[in-house]
Amino acid sequence: RRRRQELFTEQKRRKLLPEALLQELAAAPLARAEEPSPAPAPDKRPERGSAKQRKDRIPGQVKKDKAGGTRSKGNYIAVHLKDGNLTGLHQQTAKDFIRDQLYGPGTNRTSANEFFSTANKKDPIKKAAVQFVDKSWGLEKKQRAAKFTKSWVARKMTSTL
Amino acid sequence: MGEFEVHRVRFFGLVPAGVRCMAYQHRGCRLALARTDGAVEVYNFAANYFMEKAIPGHQTRSVEALCWAAGERLFGAGLCGDITEYDLERLHPAYAVDGFGGPIWSMAANNDGTQLAIGCEDGSVKLFQVVPGGVQFEKNLDRQKGRVLCLSWHPSGTHLAAGSINFIRVLDVRSGRTAQRIMVNYHVPKSKKRECVVWSIAFLSSGTIISSDSFGRVQFWDWERGTLQDSHTVSTSAALSLAVSEEEDSIVVGTSAGATYQFQLLPVKTGGQEKRWVKTKPFQHHTHDVRAVVHTPTALISGGLDAQLVIRPLMEKVQKKSYDAVLRKFTLPHRRLVSCARKARLLLFQFSQHLELWRLGSTNKTGKDGEVLPLSRMPEHLLQLKSKGPEHIYCSCVSPCGSWIAYSTASRFHLYRVQHEGDNISIKKVPGVPKLLLPAYQLQCASDSGRLFIASDRGSVHVVQLLEPGGCKHLHTLRPPVQAGLCHHCTVPTYSCAVTALAIHPATNNLFISYSDQQVGLFEFSIPEKQYTAWSRSVQNSGLHRLWLERDSPITHIAFNPKNTSQILLHDVYMLCVLDKSLPLPDNNALLVNQSTLKQLSEPARHRQLHAFKICKKFQPLLFADLLDERCLVTVERPAADINAELPPPVQQKKFGT
Repeated sequence: RRRRQELFTEQKRRKLLPEALLQELAAAPLARAEEPSPAPAPDKRPERGSAKQRKDRIPGQVKKDKAGGTRSKGNYIAVHLKDGNLTGLHQQTAKDFIRDQLYGPGTNRTSANEFFSTANKKDPIKKAAVQFVDKSWGLEKKQRAAKFTKSWVARKMTSTL
Repeated sequence: MGEFEVHRVRFFGLVPAGVRCMAYQHRGCRLALARTDGAVEVYNFAANYFMEKAIPGHQTRSVEALCWAAGERLFGAGLCGDITEYDLERLHPAYAVDGFGGPIWSMAANNDGTQLAIGCEDGSVKLFQVVPGGVQFEKNLDRQKGRVLCLSWHPSGTHLAAGSINFIRVLDVRSGRTAQRIMVNYHVPKSKKRECVVWSIAFLSSGTIISSDSFGRVQFWDWERGTLQDSHTVSTSAALSLAVSEEEDSIVVGTSAGATYQFQLLPVKTGGQEKRWVKTKPFQHHTHDVRAVVHTPTALISGGLDAQLVIRPLMEKVQKKSYDAVLRKFTLPHRRLVSCARKARLLLFQFSQHLELWRLGSTNKTGKDGEVLPLSRMPEHLLQLKSKGPEHIYCSCVSPCGSWIAYSTASRFHLYRVQHEGDNISIKKVPGVPKLLLPAYQLQCASDSGRLFIASDRGSVHVVQLLEPGGCKHLHTLRPPVQAGLCHHCTVPTYSCAVTALAIHPATNNLFISYSDQQVGLFEFSIPEKQYTAWSRSVQNSGLHRLWLERDSPITHIAFNPKNTSQILLHDVYMLCVLDKSLPLPDNNALLVNQSTLKQLSEPARHRQLHAFKICKKFQPLLFADLLDERCLVTVERPAADINAELPPPVQQKKFGT
């Protein structure tokens, strides 16, 4: 079980820490962190500099588990944030619910472009479609045409050479 | 009069946020409106539907329900789980009380305005008491699984109807228990296996509950027996909102397809006793979802996700055929969002979370009346300044020389120094900005770019001196009643309507005011003499032209011609007007918009028909118009088609032949 714990912390650490930091902390702290430590090892987390994403780790459990030797120079901030993740999650669920009900599958939605273009065409005075030139239209065709041109030119070159 | 070269600007990409919910206050004839970006606006219906207050939004704030309680207090509740009271004097949220039930989906006040009920995400309905100075939690009513999406009080205040997913509950307020539970997902078309979401609900005093759901049905239930009395399918998409009139004989329903329908309680046989709800009038004013409707005694009001507020007066309630009976649609805000730096030919556009600085293009050709001149230099987007923090920008301005930009959010004021080096531009924040009473409602730069006037809280005006290399110094603060230093000149007599625009002429020191009530549209007040000018009195005596009084939108900007003191430029959304004070005023029989006829007349005939109002309706819808110099005008338009192209997806409407 201890070995599993080690494996997990190692994987987590590897996933979390950028290469540069790892190299900096290579010498003493690395040997230390390899030690089996049953407590969770969030000690490196504040040094990532994006403490915001780790809000749900209780900051009280952060242990300073370093040799005190190498210390990456201060381009990080350890922030203790208000415990706001639960309300954020609820809000996100609520917003997803509204979005699914109004725009999800089963609602008969169309893009604003198509809607107003059909309206323009059905008006007594016919007008042009909205956003007549949309760069995203015919992308596939344009890509195939570009590829064909390239291959044609290449064939011409090989045949003349 | 003269010829102007007009810079027609259409690159201001303003997309107003959609309307999310509304609440009407009967006593004061005011409508509170909340948008999807968290902004709250208050419209005064008595003053020609002018937007008198606007509380800017917030990145994290979403308002799901608004209601007026205890007279003039406005409360809002949203997905962040708080009940917020808005301070309408200082234009910011006064405080927020946590509901402790998760995101709040709905809120309703009882008839007396003493209690607020909120419906939460976890399925509970909570009661709060409105006490002076705040709201206090009273009790939790019965909780059942399923988010409470809509709430309605019985007019007597004894029962609450709560609509959820697949069912409606009626709760007894005193005991807190569920008195009745009605399932609404019966009679559902077999092809749709979705759940039935009850989007809005109304409780009538006769005991009928009206519900509108996601299958586009409006259903009438008897709450005591729990049975369905009547069901109407109004649309294939969801019926999102519902409002009942005060007499309870008419309701208005808004759907996802942008249509609104009116149902009326009519007797089955004329003069008979039995009455039935009948769908009477369909309206298609919107293109997108109608998420909020309000039924006032004389009109149906609907607000949709296409950012339009539509007020449709009911013909049978209108006493006499006048301009009051006309349909009104408001899309563009009643505030000035563009500032112009006249000397530097720059425009500053205010968005909700950033500012854009553009340089106008130029042409070196001349042409005749009505010609479009080719540009020798295109307009350039110089700068995009993002506002720090989640709050939305309240007001902004740029100095006439183009080197200072200031903007204010609800809690901070920012001042920047802009350096123009040839074609490059650099911007630096000015440190040491004085501590001001925020929020700042209006910012105005003096014409010599030396001082900045900030109108802020409690009627105080701060004067800040802008120093050359990039600093600023707080000079004075004018507070009512004003103390020595800068003497207070005079007070303009107050008028019952809100002021929509005001400006002081640099040469003559006359104050020109335009009020929201088009009835008495314009005033000119002479500051040195402390009284209305003779011209202003003659305008009031002869009255304004009928067509001028029947304008829909308020005047948002007044500008002056520096060379000619008698010319004033005004604009509202649909027209641009140059007022020439030296010419006679038109009487009611004369043609008001007579520029095109004047062009065809000969010289002497023209002199006879010339009058003071020179109106141009060529540039519509106008967001801003200003005089750059004697020969140049700049107009910022926002065509409706451009706004439509940026709106969220609407419901597809099948038309024959497509």
